[in-house]
Amino acid sequence: MRLGRSLPVVFLGPALMVLIILAAVPTLYAFNISLQNRTLSAPDADYIWFANYLAMFSDDRFLNALWVSLKWEVLTVSATMIVSMGLAIAMFEAASPRWRKVLSILFIIPVLLPRVCAAFVWKFSFHPLYGAVTWPARAITGDTPDILSSPAGAMFAVAFVDVWQWGLFFAVIILKLLEALPPQPLEAARIDRAKRWEIHAYITLPMLKLPLISLLLVKAIESLRSFDLVYVMTRGGPGVATETLDMYAYSQGFIEAGNISYASGMAVVMLVLTVVMFTVIWKRLNQ
Amino acid sequence: MATVECSGLRKCYGSHEVIRDFNLSIADHEFVVFLGPSGCGKSTLLRMIAGLEDITGGDLLIGGTRVNDNDPGERGIAMVFQNYALYPHMSVRQNITFALERAGDSKERIAKRLAPVVESLGLDVYLDRKPTELSGGQQQRVAIARAMIKTPEVFLFDEPLSNLDAKLRGHLRVEIARLHKTLKSTSIYVTHDQLEAMTLADRIVLMYQGRIEQMGTPEEIYSRPATLFAAGFIGTPNMNFITFTVQEGRLRDGTLDLPAPEGVTGHVTLGIRPGAVEVLDAPAHDAIPAVVERDEFHGETRLVALTCGVQGLMAAIPAARKLHEGQNLFIRFPSQSLHYFNTDTGRRL
Repeated sequence: MRLGRSLPVVFLGPALMVLIILAAVPTLYAFNISLQNRTLSAPDADYIWFANYLAMFSDDRFLNALWVSLKWEVLTVSATMIVSMGLAIAMFEAASPRWRKVLSILFIIPVLLPRVCAAFVWKFSFHPLYGAVTWPARAITGDTPDILSSPAGAMFAVAFVDVWQWGLFFAVIILKLLEALPPQPLEAARIDRAKRWEIHAYITLPMLKLPLISLLLVKAIESLRSFDLVYVMTRGGPGVATETLDMYAYSQGFIEAGNISYASGMAVVMLVLTVVMFTVIWKRLNQ
Repeated sequence: MATVECSGLRKCYGSHEVIRDFNLSIADHEFVVFLGPSGCGKSTLLRMIAGLEDITGGDLLIGGTRVNDNDPGERGIAMVFQNYALYPHMSVRQNITFALERAGDSKERIAKRLAPVVESLGLDVYLDRKPTELSGGQQQRVAIARAMIKTPEVFLFDEPLSNLDAKLRGHLRVEIARLHKTLKSTSIYVTHDQLEAMTLADRIVLMYQGRIEQMGTPEEIYSRPATLFAAGFIGTPNMNFITFTVQEGRLRDGTLDLPAPEGVTGHVTLGIRPGAVEVLDAPAHDAIPAVVERDEFHGETRLVALTCGVQGLMAAIPAARKLHEGQNLFIRFPSQSLHYFNTDTGRRL
């Protein structure tokens, strides 16, 4: 009996210890710092309690970062899901097994690239003078379009790279999910006079609802961690057009002011918002 | 209501031909059963008729129109699958009405058509359940309802009862027979179960290795099997086969001595159903001695393994008659129940 009770502790204990050291300690430390007025330039600091948090709500740049983060989440998650489902269905309908294999391998390559590499490759491709993407526009019109220097252009270009990495990868996963579905309901639907697109809209995608939701959440979490992509491609610019919350926190903490306490406060806000929103979404979608 | 006409149908997977030159015409209202062992091409053929498999060659006509290149939805067919193939995320009601909704029928019309179908299959109380909340038999009823509501010209059944337990199979078989009587639509039913075939069919198409082995009413196939395969496949318990070489117009093996069919030489296989073997206690005219090897009790009947000279054969006798192992007795083959086949070609003589 005592052995049965202690067994879970034996197995879970080490993992929990590691988790506590790696996750809880920095989190609590960040929260502690966020209650102070610590900067990188001064050796000591005082507790100013919630002044940092109050300051955020009158900080336009913080509110902008919050809004950009939201836009970024919605844009990248929805674009990834739409692109991946579209590509997967197109492959499922049109490609022979051999082509599916070839395309699957090609589609997995982008996500294998470290994100910093992908960001550099595409940043150069978007370059107004030397970029491969801008070359047709240069050749035809003679202009040198600088996509990354317009607010909307920069947002879409960075999102494009994100979708290029994850949308193609998810397309492969969804293709495999489609292939794993039992074929008979699809055949029954064909006999029931459903058109090709109707079969997917009414039969296959609803049958894949649960795995698709999982993919969506995975992508939503992944999109939150896109700091490296934004950092390399735009540094949050032009202006603050692509400055997500983590980007702004980094700027505050390490680039501009060295305002570590303020940056930690933002990190804490981000953590709380994320946990709350994901819990709500998870419960909603799983109903 | 429609006829189905297959002329010279062929199906190849690459260079492998699974169905060659298949010819069959099915009359309006007819209930035809494709019967055969697994891998004989019967399901492939049904799927070709449904439009789920491409037709490599030949013509398929439904209701007099060539439908080789029509989509499954445009052939006026409905199909019931072995594993039900219900849409798992939809309620029973949505499953049944899916086709009507795709065809753009109005809500009132759908409701009007739904009611009698649901009632005839006893599905009223399950309409709002999901398929996973139903038993296998109920799921197959839903699948049948889904097929019925389209009022198809041709009903296709692909081993619809194979996934059900024996008792339920019997129930649904009766139900399918009843539905066919009321709906009168042309039906094609694929099965490997001879009992289903015998009880449901107006006509059985017995298939083997992609060809029609024999075609006819259940009685015809049972009483006059055209080939050795047909004789061996139809009927439980299996027919006894004894192979002889014809000598001086007689079939002899030392103990047995029977007249050979006229003008036949070479090897002959004699077939006799266990039920047709007469088992006698005392010697009689034409009777030959035999020894009881094994005695199996089957309820109504008793299946007895006998040794008769060098041959072993089975005889079915009423269960009330008790025999013991090693008992000596006599058997007689009534000449009208003997089936003669050419051993080499397998054809009936």
